[in-house]
Amino acid sequence: MMQVIQQIALLTGKDLRVEARSRQTLGLVVVLGILIVVVLGLGLGPQQVASGQAATAVLWVAYLFGGVLCFEKTMAVERHDGALAGLMLAPIDRGVIYAGKFISNLVLMVALALVVTPVAVVMFGFDLSAAPWGFALIMAGGFVGFAAVGTLFAAAVSSSRLQGGLLAMVVFPVSLPLVIASTQMMLHLFRDGEPVGGAGLAVLLAFDAIYLVVSWLVFEVILEP
Amino acid sequence: MDEPEIRPVTVLTAQPAHERTDAVPDTARLAVRMVGLCKRFDERWVLRDVNLDVPSGTYLALLGANGAGKSTLLHTLAMLSPATSGTLNLFGLSATRPAPALRARLGMIGHQPMLYRDLSAIENLIFFGRLYGVSRPRQRAEEMLERVGLTNRARSPVKTFSRGMVQRLAIARALMHAPDLILADEPFSGLDVPSVLALQRLLAELHAEGKTIILANHDIGQSLDLAQRVVVLRSGQVVSDRRTLDTDTDQVTREVIEA
Repeated sequence: MMQVIQQIALLTGKDLRVEARSRQTLGLVVVLGILIVVVLGLGLGPQQVASGQAATAVLWVAYLFGGVLCFEKTMAVERHDGALAGLMLAPIDRGVIYAGKFISNLVLMVALALVVTPVAVVMFGFDLSAAPWGFALIMAGGFVGFAAVGTLFAAAVSSSRLQGGLLAMVVFPVSLPLVIASTQMMLHLFRDGEPVGGAGLAVLLAFDAIYLVVSWLVFEVILEP
Repeated sequence: MDEPEIRPVTVLTAQPAHERTDAVPDTARLAVRMVGLCKRFDERWVLRDVNLDVPSGTYLALLGANGAGKSTLLHTLAMLSPATSGTLNLFGLSATRPAPALRARLGMIGHQPMLYRDLSAIENLIFFGRLYGVSRPRQRAEEMLERVGLTNRARSPVKTFSRGMVQRLAIARALMHAPDLILADEPFSGLDVPSVLALQRLLAELHAEGKTIILANHDIGQSLDLAQRVVVLRSGQVVSDRRTLDTDTDQVTREVIEA
């Protein structure tokens, strides 16, 4: 078990080091996320913006598009120069490759959120201070499931010519339960002042668990030519 | 499983290597044993009933025209792509399905370098060394860089390397964990003459150290010079398997191109 954890840490460390050197993914994703928040904020008009209720939905749009770009870019690094074959030749389980990539994507998603969320807070006058930890918990729950399916499908479509378009087409519908569950919980949390928990959280965590386990199991099949 | 459609081809040797009485292998010392190996992509059979024994320490050249199945055979040997049917044993152990422990004994030099362009040469080697559980990966990486003549570029990102340097680093990556079986898929393509000579020398050294080398190559003359044994593939089938001492370039050329 310790060896598996070390291997996953090694793969995640490599991904983050590659990103730190190239600065390709995070830069693009953050700019896209901010643009989405600003454009939607302007498009919705002052009344919607002032209500603050559209903020979580707009944030999810930014996270979804930014996330897809993350998944695509981190998998492209592996396809370039056949690096993925190098990993597949190594004496490690395919699930370890999946786990390493999943955690890397999750870290990048969190980095995206750390930049984009304050922009939405300012743009929408969204009072995050009312329940910052509840917000973080719900978003974390959404991100885990989203990164789980995103990592799996990014590997599946990375050799396809359609790539970006296809990945979004596949990942968005599958992520819908996560988005619905988390936006509903946000509404209850910020509009009604209800604490995080109950059926909403159970749905979110159940989808996270299902997506993670299924993706871990299916990843090996997807990698085989 | 459906049986592959075997088209009649001219078999230039009477029997596959493992059945030949003059080449009865000591199975305990076999690095590779393939029996009736077949590989199908969709409806197309790429490997058909391949039987091949490769004793440890052999330097074998795999020849054939484009699409003959050389790369697929190497990918199957590397457990990157499972065989559709047949048996594959590596070092006496079944490798028909991917076996992580066996992978530690393989090193592959492919068409692509399998490196990360944004990382430096030494970072790449240390990463792969750790992945293989190499003890003292930094020390080993430095040794490998010295061996392939890249010590002075150890901290340069791979994206700044020439094609020849990338290929040398790819070889260092493949050798980081001191594999017993080296699979080289057209490693000379795109290299300049000094790089080709350096790589030939390196492979010869590895062979002298007792490593088993299977080299897929297009250059028949070069293969006959380098290897001990030459196997010709055509349409996914082994059409000849002979010692290089017993053959000449014209003979092998005919076997490769014969329609």
